[in-house]
Amino acid sequence: MTARSRASIAAAIAALVIACVGPSARAQSLQRLTITQFTLASDTATPTLEVPFHLLIVVRVRERIGELDTLDLPVLTSLELLGDERHLSSDASGTLYRETITVVAHHTGTITIDPATLDAIDARDGKAKRYFSNRLTLTVRGGALAPLRSGGAAILAGAVFVLRVAVVLAGLLCAVAIVVLLFRRRSVPEPVPAQAIVHGSEAPRDPRDDLRDALVVLRAEPTRANALLARTHLRATVGATDDETLADVLARAACDDPAMALVLRNLERAAFTYDADLQAAIAAAVASLEHAIT
Amino acid sequence: MNDPKPSDLARALSQTIVGQHDVVEALLLALIANGHVLLEGPPGLAKTLACRSLAAALDGAFKRIQFTPDLLPSDIIGTRIFDQRDATFSTVLGPIFANVVLADEINRAPAKVQSALLEAMQERQVTIGLQSHALPDPFIVMATMNPLDAEGTYALPVAQMDRFLAKIDVGYPSRSEELAILDRFAVADTQPLHSVATLADVQGWRAQSHRVHLEEPLKRYIVDIVLATRETQHDAIDYGASPRATLAIANLARAKAMLDGRDYAVPDDVRAVAKLALRHRIGFNYRLTTANVGPDRVIDDVIAAVPVP
Repeated sequence: MTARSRASIAAAIAALVIACVGPSARAQSLQRLTITQFTLASDTATPTLEVPFHLLIVVRVRERIGELDTLDLPVLTSLELLGDERHLSSDASGTLYRETITVVAHHTGTITIDPATLDAIDARDGKAKRYFSNRLTLTVRGGALAPLRSGGAAILAGAVFVLRVAVVLAGLLCAVAIVVLLFRRRSVPEPVPAQAIVHGSEAPRDPRDDLRDALVVLRAEPTRANALLARTHLRATVGATDDETLADVLARAACDDPAMALVLRNLERAAFTYDADLQAAIAAAVASLEHAIT
Repeated sequence: MNDPKPSDLARALSQTIVGQHDVVEALLLALIANGHVLLEGPPGLAKTLACRSLAAALDGAFKRIQFTPDLLPSDIIGTRIFDQRDATFSTVLGPIFANVVLADEINRAPAKVQSALLEAMQERQVTIGLQSHALPDPFIVMATMNPLDAEGTYALPVAQMDRFLAKIDVGYPSRSEELAILDRFAVADTQPLHSVATLADVQGWRAQSHRVHLEEPLKRYIVDIVLATRETQHDAIDYGASPRATLAIANLARAKAMLDGRDYAVPDDVRAVAKLALRHRIGFNYRLTTANVGPDRVIDDVIAAVPVP
């Protein structure tokens, strides 16, 4: 046997060992979670070309955790990543993880963003699972560069071509950068920059910010779970405690604002009404919430 | 003409009963939820008047049975009488065959009489001789108890208390209500009430309340409250409520939602009716008396410890 063939056999054995041991080692390192919400939303369904906007990933789990290290973001090939802010807060009901990604689009048209994924051991049955958020479809509208496309001149067309090539290259670079970032994040779960995660106890967020985020999520995905989330944040905003019902909250002087009282009632309806009435209830809740917040 | 609503019935009752809005509402809830009620309160607080007025407003048959120590089961359910002319037995139905039955001072009759009534309440039929007789529908028993005068009474067994859907504590009226009573009834008797709804309307309300939606978190909230009565470390509680309490809260919450014009129930409905369903199903001990707090205060503490969904 030559040295070269011995090296090949050793490499094959190593690959086999990694293939066998890798997943189980990863499974052992997964967190045991009861995931109650995992959504991907945007603050606008129709972003404008070259105008930054935000993607929001929200994960809610029943457990109190200090970090969420197996969350994989979708690959944003059509968007340029400008920033990423993570926020983790825990209370008696569990942990809320929120990641806000600032991006910008360089092309008009429809963009489909794949679901984010989260690997965890389901605390309910003890099995390792991969969870998927929802998929997101956005329509990028023309901005300052739109007139270039409508012009017929060859120079303009050439400039657009060059620009497109540059954007594609930038997109590819972004994709590579994201892949590298994700790879580093997955392989080394611990060293998340301390300043990137703002724990609730260190810097409590304004409940109204949470409420605004919840409104974005509810608008993007009008489900009962998101209505409940918005209701939770609204209750926090008006200072409701765990043992207070809607009547208790409305009886307090803090809820003299009729607009806020209407939102409370509408979200109560959205939280507890029957399925056939749910969408109408959520629409009413979103409308009143938008009015109350603005 | 529009179909009458439960609120029409409440309005009609308020013409004869001053104040006692909680009592009137609880009676309506029990009527809609198809359950029997136990009213406890000192004499002279319109317990009997409330029951009589409800029957009159419903255009239903009303019977009153005054429970005494010498009462027999046959005095309630009926008996078979031998007719000497025909040399045959004929059945005479007792006063329980009515839509609204007022069992006044139920704890003054011995256990076998109470059992006869409570069995009829549960089965909604009675057997006289070999023949079973179905009770009319709707059929609601309103039993009263006087908490002040315990001498010569027979305490209702726990299992029998459990048969009542709700227990209503009738309290003293406020000062302004007492003045209104003086103005209204000092020189004149209570005006007879005209019927505002039929028995068929009541059946329609019940069907409507069955359709009221209970979302899953609300069901869990009800179960959590009932479990909390069993698991609480409160030293005034010996034992918690039975699963009948869970069903009672759910049915009463549905009725409350319907009464408020909703086709879905919310946590406030559960909160509003929980004490009605729990106060006679929880075993309180002597510490309740020594601590000088009422059962409602203890139940409030237990409920407050359960997070609202």
